Amino acid sequence: MAKPTPLLPESDAREAALFFVVAALCFLAVLATLTARGTYTAARAWSAQVEGEMTVRLTETDRRGAEEAAALVRGLDGIRSASVLSQEELEDLLEPSFGPGGIPAGVPLPLLIAVEAETGSPITDDAVTSALQAQGFDAVAEAHSDYAAEAQRALGTLRAAAIGIVVLLGATAIAVIAFATHAALLARKDIVDVLHLAGAEDRFIAQLFERRFWTLGLKAGAAGSIAALAATALIVFTAQSEPSQAQLLPQLSLDFWDLVILAITPVAAGLAARLAAGGTVNHALKAVL
Amino acid sequence: MNRFRPDMTGEPAVELNGVSLRYDTADEVLSDVDFRLKPGSFTFLTGASGAGKSSLLKLIYLAHGPTRGEVRLFGLETGRLKRRQLSALRRRIGVVFQDFRLLEHLTAFENVALPLRVSGQKPADYRDEVVDLLRWVGLGERMQALPQSMSGGEQQRLSIARALINKPDLLIADEPTGNVDPEMGRRIMRLFMELNRRVGTTVIIATHDLGLIREFEVPVLRLQHGLIVQDVEHQSG
Repeated sequence: MAKPTPLLPESDAREAALFFVVAALCFLAVLATLTARGTYTAARAWSAQVEGEMTVRLTETDRRGAEEAAALVRGLDGIRSASVLSQEELEDLLEPSFGPGGIPAGVPLPLLIAVEAETGSPITDDAVTSALQAQGFDAVAEAHSDYAAEAQRALGTLRAAAIGIVVLLGATAIAVIAFATHAALLARKDIVDVLHLAGAEDRFIAQLFERRFWTLGLKAGAAGSIAALAATALIVFTAQSEPSQAQLLPQLSLDFWDLVILAITPVAAGLAARLAAGGTVNHALKAVL
Repeated sequence: MNRFRPDMTGEPAVELNGVSLRYDTADEVLSDVDFRLKPGSFTFLTGASGAGKSSLLKLIYLAHGPTRGEVRLFGLETGRLKRRQLSALRRRIGVVFQDFRLLEHLTAFENVALPLRVSGQKPADYRDEVVDLLRWVGLGERMQALPQSMSGGEQQRLSIARALINKPDLLIADEPTGNVDPEMGRRIMRLFMELNRRVGTTVIIATHDLGLIREFEVPVLRLQHGLIVQDVEHQSG
């Protein structure tokens, strides 16, 4: 026996427009999530890397004095390494300010010691400064974690903003679907009335719309997710092949969890669509006898 | 107050007590209507256009609730029923609408099967039943046709088949002969009479066709400006 015709007629132009809107919202939500996640992951990796690093700035001394100061620091408990930065290392460090042509002659350069503490060591930049000043060096140590703390605060804001954007996009999608369901309900009022008077329970009628919008949400979510995957892959590829452009592009990685996000987005869109449609239909049916 | 109370034995199939109906802020379309129909009765409901026939039927087939008063079906006060109970009660009522209300995207077979489908039955369980009924109303060759490809008379018979498929305890028809020629009208009426006699289905037919009323000698409720004004059977008897 042939499969029964669906009680709700096949999709019309309104549903095509809704498909596009939901797909676009899913695309934006996925991209916002992946970008926020990528940036957050990269920044956390950087924070972990600089944890335990510090820089000592020396004045009123020469390179020999700097080497003595570095040896003194290496002798402190909890210090893994300490070395005076060479001219080349300083030039690399200052390249963003002076360009690749090197530092112009005559520019006074500080003497810097790069210090790395052992993992979990309680030693602080103040302790290093005190130890050097006690030996007569005019030195100041600064822990990189101070900058990392600022970055962590910025990351917290970024994460909150990303969650806010995703919630807003999700709420917009649900509102759009609820509105579309209401419109579909009005457009199919003749069918709903006949079903109602034929003895269909509210649940039965609601399920017709739920199934329709679940499928629509699933397909639109998949389309949005695939588009986001393509955009992400393009960004990752561009960043890898053109390192000079990498800083201008969102930090994206396309790792396992990114793929999980891409995979669950259609299901989430389908569920949201189903819930929105079911709620709208049940609410509307309660208004009639 | 106008009251029409045929002789009763047992629980009425339909009972309206002090029923009034008003749509939004408009004047009352039904005012203080009281009547009872016993199970297995066959009744015409008549009156001029705008007298309130369709509104009265809507109250009985549970498309509307009354503004005032109570509607009881098979002894159940419909205003006190939960939504699921109302749905179950609707499944005991077959309705033939004046405008047919067939679903245009479904075939004749699927339109007739609709009440069984919404009650959760599977196509394999109801196929033979639907085919038999379609043959009975003369649409055995039109089972896969869509309503828009059918004539007015065929659509009317399709609508009747849909109303009967659930073997309803109560059949309500709103101007069932209004869109068909007189001969087809008489055939439809004989079909309803047969159903009433053979199965004991309570039948209410709204019509303004006085010829039909004279031809079939059954009790008549006459509505005028929302009031039950006359019981033809009593008057003539």
